[in-house]
Amino acid sequence: MTNTVLLEAQHVSQRFKLPNGQNLEALRDVSLAVSEHEVVALVGPSGCGKSTLLRLFAGLARPADGTVLYRGRRLDGVLGAAAMVFQSFALLPWLTVTENVAMGLEARGVFGPARRDAVARAVNLVGLDGFEQAYPKELSGGMKQRVGFARALAVAPEILLMDEPFGALDPLTAENLRSQVVDLWRDPATGVNTLVIVTHSVEEAVFLAGRIVVFGSNPGHVREELVNSLPYPRIERSPDFEQMVDRLHAILTATLLPEAAPAAPQRLVPFPRVHVSEATGLLDHLLTRPDGKGPVFELAEDLGVDYDRMSAVVRAAEQLGWVTTPGEIVQLTQGGREVMAMDDAARKDASRARLAKQPLFARLVAMLKENEGSVEDEEVLADLTIYFPFIPAESLFATLIEWGRYAELLDHNAGAGRITLLGWESTAEMRTE
Amino acid sequence: MKLPGFPTTLAPPGLRRLGLADIAVLCLLGGVIATVISFAREFEAPFSQAVRIDLSPAALPRYTLYSLSRGVFALVISYLFALGFGWTAAKSRAAERLLLPLLDILQSIPVLGFLPGLVLGLMSLFPTRNVGLELAAILMIFTAQAWNLAMSFYNSLKGLPDPLRDACKVAGWPPRRTFWQLEVPAAAQGLVWNGMLSMAGGWFFLMVNEAFRLGDRDYRLPGIGSYMSVALDQGNVPAMALAVLAMVVMIVCVDQVLWRPLVVWVEKFRLDDTAGAPAPSSWVLEFLRRARLPRRAAVLQRRAYRSARRAARSIEAPFKSVGPVILRGPLIAFEHAIARKLGAGLAVAAIAAAAVAGAWRLWLLIAQLGLADWGQLLVAALLTFARVMSAVLLSTIWTVPAGVIIGRSPRLARALQPVIQVVASFPAPMLFPIVILLFERIGVGLGLGAVALMVLSGQWYILFNVISAVANIPEQLKEATTLFRLPWLARWRSLYLPAAFPALVTGWVTAAGGAWNGSIVAEYIEAGGTLRQTQGLGSLISEATAHANFPLLAGGIALMSLIVVGWNRMVWRPLLQWAQNRFSLET
Repeated sequence: MTNTVLLEAQHVSQRFKLPNGQNLEALRDVSLAVSEHEVVALVGPSGCGKSTLLRLFAGLARPADGTVLYRGRRLDGVLGAAAMVFQSFALLPWLTVTENVAMGLEARGVFGPARRDAVARAVNLVGLDGFEQAYPKELSGGMKQRVGFARALAVAPEILLMDEPFGALDPLTAENLRSQVVDLWRDPATGVNTLVIVTHSVEEAVFLAGRIVVFGSNPGHVREELVNSLPYPRIERSPDFEQMVDRLHAILTATLLPEAAPAAPQRLVPFPRVHVSEATGLLDHLLTRPDGKGPVFELAEDLGVDYDRMSAVVRAAEQLGWVTTPGEIVQLTQGGREVMAMDDAARKDASRARLAKQPLFARLVAMLKENEGSVEDEEVLADLTIYFPFIPAESLFATLIEWGRYAELLDHNAGAGRITLLGWESTAEMRTE
Repeated sequence: MKLPGFPTTLAPPGLRRLGLADIAVLCLLGGVIATVISFAREFEAPFSQAVRIDLSPAALPRYTLYSLSRGVFALVISYLFALGFGWTAAKSRAAERLLLPLLDILQSIPVLGFLPGLVLGLMSLFPTRNVGLELAAILMIFTAQAWNLAMSFYNSLKGLPDPLRDACKVAGWPPRRTFWQLEVPAAAQGLVWNGMLSMAGGWFFLMVNEAFRLGDRDYRLPGIGSYMSVALDQGNVPAMALAVLAMVVMIVCVDQVLWRPLVVWVEKFRLDDTAGAPAPSSWVLEFLRRARLPRRAAVLQRRAYRSARRAARSIEAPFKSVGPVILRGPLIAFEHAIARKLGAGLAVAAIAAAAVAGAWRLWLLIAQLGLADWGQLLVAALLTFARVMSAVLLSTIWTVPAGVIIGRSPRLARALQPVIQVVASFPAPMLFPIVILLFERIGVGLGLGAVALMVLSGQWYILFNVISAVANIPEQLKEATTLFRLPWLARWRSLYLPAAFPALVTGWVTAAGGAWNGSIVAEYIEAGGTLRQTQGLGSLISEATAHANFPLLAGGIALMSLIVVGWNRMVWRPLLQWAQNRFSLET
């Protein structure tokens, strides 16, 4: 099966400037081709640049390096052959459903009765008949996204680009719309023959896509591709489907929870941006499970968070020695069990001892000790920016402060903009003795 | 089965007969046309330095309409300016870096000082007709209206969600369409609310704009401001009272007929669909919506459009699936980095040259001032500074308790809001002479009296800000203080005052600006044929204007601008940032 390549990214990189002046590299040297009649899903942790790549495909932005080609031609403007569906719907609240659906028609040379026909057809395809004169604010989330799809379908696009189209919908509505998308793609009347979807949900990717591209972050890059040849329509509870979901889980786990490289113990690792209560919540949940363990994706589902967030929480707990992660299994450690059995004060003591060993906190503490137990925020922020150029320094800083406060390791005065090491005087005295 | 007597063909409901509302709409249209025509005639009138102002009550409606027309005309220009300025600043990073500080300065300097230059310049352009003087008055109103509108449009452009922009780009909308169908509607609410503030601000210098002396020449335009100043000159108390009344009637009418309907109408353009405060209502808009004429016009227009389309159908291409088209060529106007850099460099050079030339002209003027003049300017500046700060302090003392009490009770806030709005829109300088005459009765001179006048011109900003801040305190926080039985003092100290503090600082910034501006008319007052004057920067500026002493005028304006901008940068802004950080209600 050799289909013509429709869209192709060749060695594409993209950079953004953050408001604080930090440079963020969203994509580095990404190459990906999308052929006719394909459904490609882009998955990966947040901040891996998958949405950025989608915008490059749409011609909404231009890559810093590399080229994006459409049918072998360099793309240097908004691609008329594509339409896009947004997570936030992006409907104009002051236009009716009809007017919103018709947004893209004029620029594509569709006027008058043809325009009316195109709108009616698109409205009918997504089942919005009767809502033509409604304003978006009168519609539920699911209905709003139907308008989003109708707007995209109205221009009879060759390629439909979707940026987490079901992300803002409740699960029932999402499931319903998802199967309709497959129908639309298989229905020759729509003219759509190629889909590119950015998603957070593993099941969604397996349900929709023929090819799943897994992205890694910091900076965004393609980790692995998975071909999914299950026949449509796919049935979510079938063994084949579940097997495919498990395979994707395994790939994602390898991306999200890489096996620790024991060679470099002194290497600074960023502490995951996770709240204290999230980590203890994970331990609480693990305690309720037999043997205190479970696969990371099952945990995410049970706790109602996405796998991206879940894996961050697991990494934080792992850095504190509370869990280990053999493969995609999260296992509560003896240390973790002990911590959960403690009262609050003892738990704080144990956390403090653990945190002091974590390389990043250890570095911060060393810095504080060098400066008589107190440093300015700016200094720490500058340090973080140097060591982790791809992570927004402010949010990492906030995480450090939260954990440091919780463990009564350090204190922070937002007014004065300074961090102080707690118990500094006493440790100083101890050393002189 | 059909009932007899009913037509078989149904016209759209409500389209058959004209009603009372339609007659009103027609009359209104006629009135607008008549006003525009008579205003235009006034425009074309042969130039005479001082129009004779007729103090009879019958002439007052006409004068009021003249003043109103100037305000509306200036507002239209302000809106056009705001759209252009805001768009440029939001679209080009280079322009943004230059325009934002410029706006910040323009917002805070006393524009009244530019009146003489403006008048002389425009008069020389139109030496034989009234146009020059009229344009000068309109431009002066414009300078009091435009800046916050521009800022509002800029902010709303910057705050527009990315996906909405992307959606318009993917749809292939050209920039012009995106502007009118995305950017302007999204900014509509801010533009209308700020338009209300601008209109009120535009009236502030009404009296000076319409009647002022420059050297030995007396300039006067027919209007409610000049009516008031002539009444003051002649000590005609009934005429003064009538002028104040006419001003209040005009403000109330503009509010009810123009702003309320607009405020209700722009609700449609809210970006967030959170149903927050109860929807505002407007009896005028309800009335207009009942009118059939506009609807009939819309139907006719639609019909005409449809037949035109039908006629055009034959020459249009049939609908087909979209082929491989790229909707818009280059994404940015300047394709090449070199060209862009060159363009930016040229722009910067041009601006720098203009700035140097301007500074040189100013220097030539100011260099004529002697050391004694500078000493006089500095002493005057200190005095006025002390008055401004006292005015801000005095305003704070009464407005904060009042604002908290009003803001705490939604019922009270609802009942008082329209009253306060009218009072705040009233141009305080119109009352200055009356207040000063009263003060003289009780033996208070202008030196202290000027402080009271500055309070009059600045206090409302503080009151408004405090009321809205207190009204926006989450109900649960108030309930918590009730639940824990906090005594009232503790309640104020721990909840109301901290929650209102950031808004209070914002109010201070505006109130101080208002007081500085007010000083120009508060320290130098002509009433009842006599001139009262007290030492200060404001009176120095007014005096320099009256005596056509341009070097002193330039020095005074420059000094005042410097103080206001410097104080904004060094004191207000850091204070505001600290307050917003420390006392934010978001956790």
